[in-house]
Amino acid sequence: MITILIPLLFAVIEFGDVFQRWLAQESATVQVARYAGELGGDAPEVRALLDGSLRSSGIDPSAATVDVTPARVGWREPLTVTVRTNAMVAIPFLFSAAIPLRTSAVVRGELAR
Amino acid sequence: MSAITTIAALPLLIIVLMTTLELGSLRVVAARARSAADLAVLVAVNDQDDGELQRSGTLVAAADAADVARTVFAANLDPLAPFLAATPADVAADAAIQVEPRPATVHLRVTVPVRTPLFGALFFHPITDVAVQANGGAR
Repeated sequence: MITILIPLLFAVIEFGDVFQRWLAQESATVQVARYAGELGGDAPEVRALLDGSLRSSGIDPSAATVDVTPARVGWREPLTVTVRTNAMVAIPFLFSAAIPLRTSAVVRGELAR
Repeated sequence: MSAITTIAALPLLIIVLMTTLELGSLRVVAARARSAADLAVLVAVNDQDDGELQRSGTLVAAADAADVARTVFAANLDPLAPFLAATPADVAADAAIQVEPRPATVHLRVTVPVRTPLFGALFFHPITDVAVQANGGAR
């Protein structure tokens, strides 16, 4: 019985952690997309904000892949920010795996060039 | 005795686990849909009438603010498409978007149909509707 209950308990805990991480990453992506829209695209300030947001959520920013496309936008042009990370899931007696988490946000450029 | 208890309880445990996972997944999709609606409203409310702003310095929503909200909402729902029972474009098209020009305010209300196959198998509820509401104003 214990060999079934323990993996079940860990599965609930681990997947709960992945869901929480997914939401935190989503929230960080939205904030960063808004900021990138205000600055008119990719900039060191955008990367710094994302690093801070991810770090405060317990996600290692050095392991995150960030795409800001296009890198430079004008007034009212669409801008997409995509963040990819891997969440490690380890369930005793069953498996351990890296689950890819991809979040994206679409905004519009707010800087008149 | 222990083996019999395990065998008897296993289906129940698996059902509880799967239901927990599906409920968690539903909560994540609902949160992401709300986030998409918030972002859509925020972008739409920033879509100001430039002419009016230059003339009078007043923040007035642009004539296409509702279309902007719909387009941005659909674009941000796109990553959730596999979880939805309708296409992001259809969900966005069904959204009730109200734009008040003075002061510039955008309200978005929509019902997002989310696929819940396990709930369908257990409770005959294969699609769960998630109500989403977002409001934004330029100040």
